[in-house]
Formats: sequence, C-alpha cells, structure tokens
Amino acid sequence: MKMAESVKKLLKRNKPGTKASCFRKWPDEPFEEMESTLAVQEFIQQQIRIDPSNIDVILTPPDSQEEGVWKYEHLRQFCMELNGLAVELQAECLPDTCSQMTSTEQWIFLCAAHKTPKECPAIDYTRHTLDGAACLLNSNKYFPSRVNIKESSVAKLGSVCRRVYRIFSHAYYHHQNIYNKFENETYLCQRFTKFVIKYSLMAKENLIVPMPDAIMQGIRTEEDGTTSIKEP
Amino acid sequence: MRGPLTPFSLPAMSLEEGSYTGGKPGQQQLQQQQGGGFGQKGDNGDGGGVNNKVKYTMPGVLHFIQHEWSNFELERAHWEIDRAELQARIAYLQGERKGQDNLKNDLVRRIQMLEHALRAERAKYHKLKYGTDISQSEMQLPSASSAQDEYSSLPEGGADSEAPLSVISNVSWKQGRQLLREYLHEIGYTDTIIDVRSSRVRNLLGLNNNNNLNEIEQGQIESSQINGNNYNKRFSDNQGQCSPTKRTQQQQQQQQQKKLLDVESAVMANFEFLSEMRSTSDSGDVDMDDDGVDDDDDDDDEDDDEMGMADDVIDMTSICKFGPDDVDAEADEVVNELQLLTEDISNKENEQNDWKVSNRDVFNKNSNNANWIKNEPVEMVDGNMDLALGLGELAQLTVNNESETNADIIDMKTASRKTWNAKYTLRSHFDGVRALAFHPTESILITASEDHTMKLWNLQKTIAPKKSASLDVEPLYTFRSHTGPVFCLAISKNGEHCYSGGLDNVIKVWSMPSANIDPYDSYDKNILINNLEGHEDAVWGISVHHNRSELLSCSADGSVKLWSPTNLKTPCLSSYVSDQDEIPTSVDYVRDVEGQFVASYNSSHCVIYDIETKSPITRLECSKDPTEMATQLIHRVKCHPTLPLTITAHDDHHIRFFDNNTGKMVHSMVAHLDAVTSLAVDPNGLYLLSGSHDSSIRIWNLESKTCVQEITAHRKKLDESILDVAFHPSEAYIASAGADSLVKVFV
Repeated sequence: MKMAESVKKLLKRNKPGTKASCFRKWPDEPFEEMESTLAVQEFIQQQIRIDPSNIDVILTPPDSQEEGVWKYEHLRQFCMELNGLAVELQAECLPDTCSQMTSTEQWIFLCAAHKTPKECPAIDYTRHTLDGAACLLNSNKYFPSRVNIKESSVAKLGSVCRRVYRIFSHAYYHHQNIYNKFENETYLCQRFTKFVIKYSLMAKENLIVPMPDAIMQGIRTEEDGTTSIKEP
Repeated sequence: MRGPLTPFSLPAMSLEEGSYTGGKPGQQQLQQQQGGGFGQKGDNGDGGGVNNKVKYTMPGVLHFIQHEWSNFELERAHWEIDRAELQARIAYLQGERKGQDNLKNDLVRRIQMLEHALRAERAKYHKLKYGTDISQSEMQLPSASSAQDEYSSLPEGGADSEAPLSVISNVSWKQGRQLLREYLHEIGYTDTIIDVRSSRVRNLLGLNNNNNLNEIEQGQIESSQINGNNYNKRFSDNQGQCSPTKRTQQQQQQQQQKKLLDVESAVMANFEFLSEMRSTSDSGDVDMDDDGVDDDDDDDDEDDDEMGMADDVIDMTSICKFGPDDVDAEADEVVNELQLLTEDISNKENEQNDWKVSNRDVFNKNSNNANWIKNEPVEMVDGNMDLALGLGELAQLTVNNESETNADIIDMKTASRKTWNAKYTLRSHFDGVRALAFHPTESILITASEDHTMKLWNLQKTIAPKKSASLDVEPLYTFRSHTGPVFCLAISKNGEHCYSGGLDNVIKVWSMPSANIDPYDSYDKNILINNLEGHEDAVWGISVHHNRSELLSCSADGSVKLWSPTNLKTPCLSSYVSDQDEIPTSVDYVRDVEGQFVASYNSSHCVIYDIETKSPITRLECSKDPTEMATQLIHRVKCHPTLPLTITAHDDHHIRFFDNNTGKMVHSMVAHLDAVTSLAVDPNGLYLLSGSHDSSIRIWNLESKTCVQEITAHRKKLDESILDVAFHPSEAYIASAGADSLVKVFV
C-alpha cells in the first residue's frame, strides 16, 4: 500500500475524482507534525511511498516511538500488502495443483483457522491465514487500541508473523514468477524478513526464502522443531 | 380522533334511531289520522247507506255516489300530493347527495392538509421536547395513509365501507342500520326512511351553520316527528325551491303551518348555504320515476357511513373556516395523489394480511404524500402556520385516526425509537474504509477499503471463532481481487450481486456469498463473476438501477459509463462525457423519473443526462464564480427516492438541494464543520444522512432541513475521517465508514 498523496493544498485527502497518478501524492511530513492518533500508520505508509526498496528507512522508528505499537502497525501493513500477493495467487494457486500448504518438501503446514488444524489447500491456507490475522490484529480483546498495546498482546505478533511468512515461502517455491513480480514491486518479503530479524519475531530456521546477505545480517539462531508436519 | 369522533357518531346514531322511532309513530299517527278520516267518512257513508236503505231515493243514491267520488277524489289528490312531494324529495336528496359528495371531497382534501400541518407541528413539538425523533413521523404517517384509505375510496362509490381499515364502531353501526332497513322494507314505509334521512340531513345542516340554528333544527325535527303533517308541510316548502312547477299544489297546504314559519326560514337559510357549497345544482338529474325511490333506498345503506363521516368533517370545516377557493390548488394536488393511491389501496384491501405488502403500500403513500408536500413548499409553510393556530379539535382528529386504524402493525417495526445508538464497531480492515452497502433485505453489510479488500458482515450473526471468542462481529467473507484501494461499492436491488470499483480502473462483479457462509470455507473462484474493464483511471462512483440489472460508474478518466454487469462479452453499454466539465466525482440514477441519471463533476456542477440519447437534460449549478466553484467540489450526489430532488455534498461544508426539473437550487445549508463527504437518503425519503471529515455523521429531516441527530463516529487518519454512510433499505440500521479502518453500525 503505497500511501501516495496528492498535492492537495494543505489537506491530505483523496477527493473523489482524484486520478490514480495523483492518489496519495501529497508532500511528505515529518512524524512530529502528524497530529492524528494514527500517525504511526501514516508515517509508515509515507516512508513506504517514498521508496519501498529503502527497507532500513522504513523500519527505522521515529524517536521515542514505543516499540509495541511500531511492530503492530508494521505487521498490519504487511498483512495488508500481502493481500496483493494473495490476489495474484488466487489466479494460479489452485486446490488441484497445490492441495497442501507447502514450501520446501520438508513441511506441510496446517491451517490454524479451524477448530482443529486442517490440511487446507494452499490458497485456502493463504486466505484463512490473512483473514485470521486480520481478526487477531483487529481484535478488541488483544488490540483494543492502536495507541497503547499490552505486552501480552505484543507476544501474539510472533505467531502471526510465523504463519504469514509461509505465504511468502509457498509463493517463492511454487509460484516463483508471481513471487518475483510481486517482490520486485514491493520488496515486501525482504522488508518482512528484515523486520522479523530486527525484532526477533521468528526463528532463523524458518526464514527459508533466500535473501540478499544485507537482509540476513544480524540474524540470531533459534531452535525450532524438525517434525515433518508443522503445527500452526 | 376517538374523542370527537365517537361523541359525534354516537349522537348521530342515537339521533337517527330516535328520529326513526319518532318518525314511525309519526307515520302511524298519520295513518291513523288518515284512516280515521276515512273511517269517519266511511261511517258517514255507511250511516247514509243505512238511512238510504229505508228509503232508496235517487237523490240519495246520487248523493252517496257523489260523496264517495269526492272522497276518492280527495284521496287521490292526497296521493298526488304525496307523490309529488316524494318525487321532489327524491330530486332533493339526489342533489343533496351530490352536494355531499362534493363537500366530502373538499373536506378530504382539507383533512389531508390539516394532517400534514399537524404532523409538521408534532414533529416540531417533539423535536423541541426530546431533541429528536425519527419514528414519530413514521408513526403518524400510517394514520394519514389510512385516512386516505377511507376517504379516497369513498368517491368511487364501491363497497368501500367494508374496507379493512374502517372503524369497528362503523361496522356494528352499519349492521344495526341494515336490520332497521330490512324492517322498514317489510313495512314498506319508504317515506319513513326519507324522514330519517331528512332529519339527519337537517341535523347536518344545523351543524353547518351555527349552534343556534342547530338547536332550532333539533326542535323542529322533534316536532316534525311528532306531527307528520308538519313534516309534510315543511317538506312541500322545500320542494317549492327544488321544483317550482309543483308549487301550486303545495301551496294549498301551506296555510295550516304558520306556526313553523320561523323554523322554515332557518331551514331555507341552510339550503342556501348548501347550494353555495355545491357546484352541481340541486335540480340537476332529477329522476321522476317511482323506481327512483327504491334506488335511493339501496344507495342509502352505502351513504350512511359516508354521512356519518361527513357529519364530523363538516363540523371540522366550520371550525377551521377557510373557504374552498383558498385550498383549491392544493386540493387538486391532493386529489391527484389520491388517484395515484387508488391502486395501492386496492392492493391493500386484497392483501391486508400480508404485512410486507401493506407496509410497502404505506411507504408508497408516504412518499406520495411527501411528493405533494414538496411540490408546494412555500404555500405549505404559510398554511402550516395558519392551520396550526386553528387546529384545536383537528389535532384530536388525527389522533383518533391513529388509534382507530391498524397503524400499530407498522408501529411494531419502527417501535418507538427516538435516537440512533451505536451498536457494532466492525473492525477488520487494515486501512480506511471507503464505501458501504447494505443488503436490500437482510442484515448484511459489505464494506470496501483502501486495503484492497471488501468484507461481508452479517449483523445478526455474531460469530465466536475458535480463538478470539470475545469479538462481537467478524467478517464472514473477504473479497479479494482488486489490486488497489477500493473506492466504491453497490449491491444489486435483488441482493444477488455486488459491484466494486477502485484505483485499479476495473469494476468487479461479485455474486453474493450466503449469509451463513463459513468464514473459513474454501475458496470459490466463481464468486467473481465479471470484470468490467473500460475505464482508464480510478473508478470513484457506482450506482445501481432500482429495478434493472444496470450499473453506472464514474471515473477519473472523465467518463461515466453504463454497464450491463453480467454481460461477459460487451458489458459496457454507453459512455457519457461532459463537454463543459472535466472529471465526474459521483453518479446516481434519478429515481423519480425513468431513464435519467445525474453526475457531479469536479467543476462543482451536476448534469442530468438522458440515458438513451446521452444528451444532458439539466445542469445543476450552484455558482458561476470560479473561485467559489473551486471550493465547492461535490463529494457525493444523491437523488431523492421519490421526488425530483438532487442532493449534493460539497467540500465547502454545504449540502445543497436542487430541483431536477428547473435545475434551480432550492436550498443550501452549512451542514458540517468540514467537507461533507457522503450522503444517504432513507428509503422513505424522509431523512438524510450525511458524513463529513469533521468526524461526525448527522441525520437531517428532509422536510424541515433541520438536523435531528449528530453522532461523532470516527477518528481522523491524515485529514480524512468519514468516507461513507448508508441507510439499510428495509431495516433499522445506519452505518458509517471511516478512514480509521472502522465501520460503525447504529440502530
């Protein structure tokens, strides 16, 4: 979601009739001057809009930004942008060809959206995971506010990241053309990898999509199961 | 109207019975007198016969025969007179009936006006008292429509007295009268019936003039009932007016009646008044056949209910005292409306048990009613003021209508809701929600967001998905296919499809998922039915036709396009481009006229197009000053569901109203503290909902253009706040969509 912005006088608005070329094409604004309660989201989207490939800048929080909210807003942004990948996969990733959610042959992922985890076809796993993530991240119970987030809730972010990452890995290993096209436009997997490394949200072993070295630096090793069936 | 009506109808009834029983003895008396007279004569004759038996003299026989002949002649003269009187009476009553019909039509029109005034008055009062009320006027409307029901059906002269909405007391009253009528038929005293009627008519007329006359009348009626001859006498006088040729005969009998002259003059005054009220003359269409008596008799039954009603109505007019001429123009409007309603009424009679049907009828009537109001806005304002002052008993009139009719059926639906309260917050979108659409009948809402998705919510199904059981409402389905923010959304009128458009230039046609779909069901590709490709820039607005499967869209590429959404090969039917304007910002079908749509442009003007010819019909311009125009960008244009009215939401905080026919701006108001972004008109066309970047939604009474309620609903993201609002087409929901990724639903 690049937040483009239009050169609307003072107001950052997309009025009806705005051409796509002018959509969200408004002048950049320092974080300090963003007054709305959703400033973190605005700031992240502004940074992405400026240059989606400049991952370090995008992942650099403003001074004094509380880390929980920062991670939370970034994860929302990832899930939102992953919709784009899911849309592409819908056309190609059919239950016939991808009857299981796999990346490498090592693991079959079970869909956590059901009462008992289930071997959903890859496309259903993708959709269910994104839907479930949307529910969790918008949960009134865990995330009632986007300004203050409880520590216990921040802990939930890791499991969301782990599941969501499987969408990248499935796309990479089974629909490489889609993955490449999407990645070239959004740098989303690179940004996501860097994000989970930076905030230690996932184990290194699980980051199975090959990444440039620059992304992988600073990684720390972590134990994870080696079972052939990966629980959610 | 319980109050006034019952007192009025009950006395009328008892009066009638009184006059009936009184009239019957009177008649019997008359018979006795006549019989007595004959008897005496017969006695005399017999006596003469006895005497003559002793001595049969020719002169005696001749005398007897002459005597008998003169007796017969006398009798025959009596009968002739009676017959002439009755014929005159028939003529008079027929004229009377016509007059009453006309009168009644006038009065129905006036009642319409008065009820409207009353509604407005009550709404005002209620607003002052409680701050706001939506259901109030809805609750009143049934009364108005039911009144229309009763009244409007009368002029047709059908079997309307059986209309389901008639008062219960009317039914029992009618049955009672029917019994009496049969009894009278057995006896054959048709003139008695006429007597009853005449007393009722006089009673009516007495009410029509002044109270003194009324009292005199009653006195006269009583006396005439006691003395049948008096009745005849007085009656012959009446006939003198109706049919001068009979005057000679009648004058023979006038001499005895001097004691009633005063009273008679009063009656004549009444008649003169009556004849003024009538447009048709008393003497027109006189049926001289004796059969006419029977016909009149039959009609009488049906007339009675009307008459009872007319009694009250006449009283009302005498209170209000405005001449027929003053209201003619408005009255004509009402009559037109009544004719329009005839269809609905017959439906209603047939399908009265079908709640939905009758309910819809009421809606139609409401809107028609509103239509009439809109057509005469200026007069009605003045009229309201005047009428409101003189309302008095009329206020009760409407109240009674309400309690008498089955209005409570409709009331059940709207309950007695005073204000809208937030009920659900729908959280699931990751970015601002741009558009909302309710399912036409079910409690289903679809939302479209800048996060590229649309989500379907069932407001009656609060799911508890395994893990996070505490959530109230979760989306049942997520529509994924757009590759950019989704800006606009619409659901087809049958609820089978929905359409979405956005930054990716494509309009997607979706089939509607089941209301009970498992949110984690497997993916069905067929949910996406069609891609409408043709726009070359972002699609900002969609409008669906209220009947047909047709779709209008407007795009930043400068065009408005008409689509046949399920046509897979060539879905685009037409494209409309304005020569004078650049980019359309919003589009809507004109709802009150077929074959037109209105598009708003970033020039701050609207254009109404003919769909077939593609030519502009009317331009709606609020300003010609370029600097003003620059601030008046129209965010949303909506057409009133039943009126030729276009409503526009402007960047300069205004909401403006345009007459579609003239293209003139009829009203302009500062509606919000910031740009007005969205509009919705409730299905009845009574209320307007607006959303603004000032974070509030406001509900407006469309008639008075006053704000009924304001709700602060959303937070700002960037400088945007509320991006869309919607009314549920059939249920009591409203919803707002915000840039803060939330959707709020109010009940």
